[in-house]
Amino acid sequence: MVIRFTCNGRAVQVEAEPEARVIDVLRDGLRLTGTKEGCGRGECGACTVLLDGKPVNACLLLAGKIVDRDVVTIEGIAGEDGSLHPIQEAFLDTGAVQCGFCTPGMILSAKALLDEIDTPGVAEVEEALAGNLCRCTGYGKVVDAVLAASRRMAPGADRGGE
Amino acid sequence: MVSSVSVIGKRIRKVDGREMVTGEAKFSGDYIFPGMVYGTVKRAGVPAGRIKSIDVTPANAVPGVVDVLVAADIPGPNLIGILPPLDQPVLASDEIRYAGESVALVVAESAEAARRGAQAVAVEIEAYEPILTVDAALAPDARKIHETGNVTFSKKLRKGEVESAFERADILVEGDYETSFQEHAYLEPETVCAVPGRRFTLYASCQSPFHIRGHVAANLGVPASSVKVIQANTGGSFGGKDDVATEIGALACIAAQRLNRPVMIAHERKESIVGSNLRHAARIHIKTGALKDGRIIAREVRVLLDGGAYASESPFVTMKTLIHAAGPYNIENVSVESTSIYTNKTYCGAFRGFGVPQVTFASESQIDELAEKLGLDPLEIRRINGLRAGDPNATGQIYEQSVGLLETIEEIAKRPEPAGRKDDDRHVHGTGYAAVAQGISNGAEGIDVTGASVQMSQDGSVLVGIGLTELGQGSRTVYALIAAEVLGVDVDSVSVRSVDTDAVHDSGPTVASRSTTVGGMAVHKAASEVKKSLVSMAALMMKTEGENIELRDGFAVLRTDESARIPIASVATAAYWTGFPLMNLAFSKAPEANFDDETHQGDVYIAYNYGTHRMDVRVDTLTGEVTVLNHLAAHDVGRVINPLGLEGQVEGASLMGFGLAHMERIQYVDGIIQNANFADYAVPSIKDRLPTATITVEDPNPTGPFGAKGAGEPPVAATAAVFANAVADAVGVRFTRLPITREDILDALKRGNHD
Ligand code: FES
Ligand code: FES
Repeated sequence: MVIRFTCNGRAVQVEAEPEARVIDVLRDGLRLTGTKEGCGRGECGACTVLLDGKPVNACLLLAGKIVDRDVVTIEGIAGEDGSLHPIQEAFLDTGAVQCGFCTPGMILSAKALLDEIDTPGVAEVEEALAGNLCRCTGYGKVVDAVLAASRRMAPGADRGGE
Repeated sequence: MVSSVSVIGKRIRKVDGREMVTGEAKFSGDYIFPGMVYGTVKRAGVPAGRIKSIDVTPANAVPGVVDVLVAADIPGPNLIGILPPLDQPVLASDEIRYAGESVALVVAESAEAARRGAQAVAVEIEAYEPILTVDAALAPDARKIHETGNVTFSKKLRKGEVESAFERADILVEGDYETSFQEHAYLEPETVCAVPGRRFTLYASCQSPFHIRGHVAANLGVPASSVKVIQANTGGSFGGKDDVATEIGALACIAAQRLNRPVMIAHERKESIVGSNLRHAARIHIKTGALKDGRIIAREVRVLLDGGAYASESPFVTMKTLIHAAGPYNIENVSVESTSIYTNKTYCGAFRGFGVPQVTFASESQIDELAEKLGLDPLEIRRINGLRAGDPNATGQIYEQSVGLLETIEEIAKRPEPAGRKDDDRHVHGTGYAAVAQGISNGAEGIDVTGASVQMSQDGSVLVGIGLTELGQGSRTVYALIAAEVLGVDVDSVSVRSVDTDAVHDSGPTVASRSTTVGGMAVHKAASEVKKSLVSMAALMMKTEGENIELRDGFAVLRTDESARIPIASVATAAYWTGFPLMNLAFSKAPEANFDDETHQGDVYIAYNYGTHRMDVRVDTLTGEVTVLNHLAAHDVGRVINPLGLEGQVEGASLMGFGLAHMERIQYVDGIIQNANFADYAVPSIKDRLPTATITVEDPNPTGPFGAKGAGEPPVAATAAVFANAVADAVGVRFTRLPITREDILDALKRGNHD
């Protein structure tokens, strides 16, 4: 069937079975390969995308469930002009990216958090990113990145690079 | 080497980071080619036996399946491995040596169909009683897993006379220690994509592209020059994407050749755990003899490594345990015997730390036990015995400089243990210390050469090419910094190209913390040659001698009159038109290891990274839960190239060591891994992260660029060891087996209370 939904702000339609996995719809159907598959079982968070603003594992989500809904992937985070989102900037500035495979999922989980809470505490960051595994960084710099991003995104903050 | 620097030592963003935060970075699985098909491996499913028959008809009948390959379809020798004689088949034809063994490759129009096809392949195996422990493997009447027997590799190190020294010792401590198998658990499972043509192109998530090229070509039956391996962005490796990438790389190319279609093979997580190498489980016996004043006079160590079904890197891991088992101490009499053993389990090979975490845990545990017997402070015993410049280490090698162990001890000592941590009814506190040394470079493991090219364009931008891979560890950023420093340009004007075996020089494997040291040295040399051209040109332009010219901040500057400066781009353009070469291919060769094979006495590594860690923990005696309150990681890294990257290495490696020490254990039942997924195999999450504080000591290494030495591995060992010592201090019980899980702690506390 034809799956119609909003992806990164645009109306899109993809031919897919309703029980196809959303990760395949995005990667194969739309060639949005920034969404990564680390386990295919909802255990690593590499495939995290935002569904109506909430983080979900695209490897467990079925295509039928996204009809008429709003999906945001890592490709939809930066500005149209190529300017990076403050979370993306913060991940680079703090050294929260090593191999980069967990990074799209991490950034989307962080975005869902910061869209909801302006200035989260460490415990809230931990909670929001608990489902995103990273084998490279040790996570310390990931926490730093999310906190730094929250400061930059706070109303009235200077959004430029640090 | 260089007194003042302008970009070395600055906190620099990863030069290749942008594409990773936007999703543009292409990993192997992100490639798509017209007509591409997908391969899935059929695995044995039993740990030991002999293949009686393979029936591929049911697989061929699965809709979408286009081809099924078995061993007989491999044109070449059907062998992979690290050291000759190679012992691992690409596809098993006869004997099954572990449950994850590949027996067939099914290729289909979709990954789904390939998986269904693989399930449908009917393999009849006459099962053998599997050999699942090193004891069973070493039993005199044991079945031989390989023709050569069940011992993969065994070596001895002999320094002085341990026996007589033990007689002289005032105190002896002796004990047995064990560590478990560990999975690399990089987030990206192994993936390759082969494109056929006049030559083969293989996009691979891999660590050592030239190693893969050689094996792929051999198994295809074509010359190496007919294969081009391009390292795609690689989602972590930590030692784990060598052997397996040769296996699936060869399979993908062979299938691509048969079908004349591009073939992708992407492992699922389960396959990544059961079908690619793990960290060796180890059993270690140590005896240490010391004098009353705390001086250790003798150590005897026996290391038994369970290496699983194939040799892989076992010989080199064995060597590394041999050389590191006595610890970073000046001990006159040392005797070590290290042996790796074949069993019917997933093969073990390279994994960050390379055997050093296992022996360091054992050694450092015993150092604490000894300190306790002697009534010495744990830092004091390490201070008394720790290696200093001019001391002979376990192989008798003497370094006159860059032995910063004592400085790391003092860095830790000067940060007092936190006051006011009161135990209460429920919680107990403890503090642990551990010291480590880890050899940098291939050293005893082989010749160590790296080639790097540096090319400046007329606009002053720089392209670096090197055969060592970026795996997330930040080596591209390190190379960019080194080139920028030498050429006096901004880091942003330096690009480090991806590794393509057609375009860069074979640089040997990306292992042994050698990227910064050996690789960085080659980049430094090549950049210095280009610099010579620029300096000569600028001297001509300014009508002066080359020695009066300095390259910095994007200009050639006259030393005597700083206002006289020409943009480097202009110098480069002039150099090009004048005919000064703007590209250089340089080699860095580590001094060859020179040691006696019987005793392992001699010069082994170009340098060691030294470190001391402290960890403060709180243990909940009701639940066994451990909270790490502080973790200080001091390392002598020679010279910091990029502090941001260095901290990332120390933090990431530390958490990996913590996983080994506390959380991670591959569970086998009858030779089958039970927890081949992230729900059951516990990889540390953000909630388990450590409060690691990286402390750097810079004792410049004359064999590294700007004095640097590698740092990506040693924290694994130090953290595993320091965790064990901190928990022992808190709980009052010495744990001799890793991981020390929450349940182990709870058990020990219960037993303690009942005793
Ligand atoms: S791939 Fe979806 S959670 Fe791991
Ligand atoms: S950066 Fe490699 S998994 Fe997170």
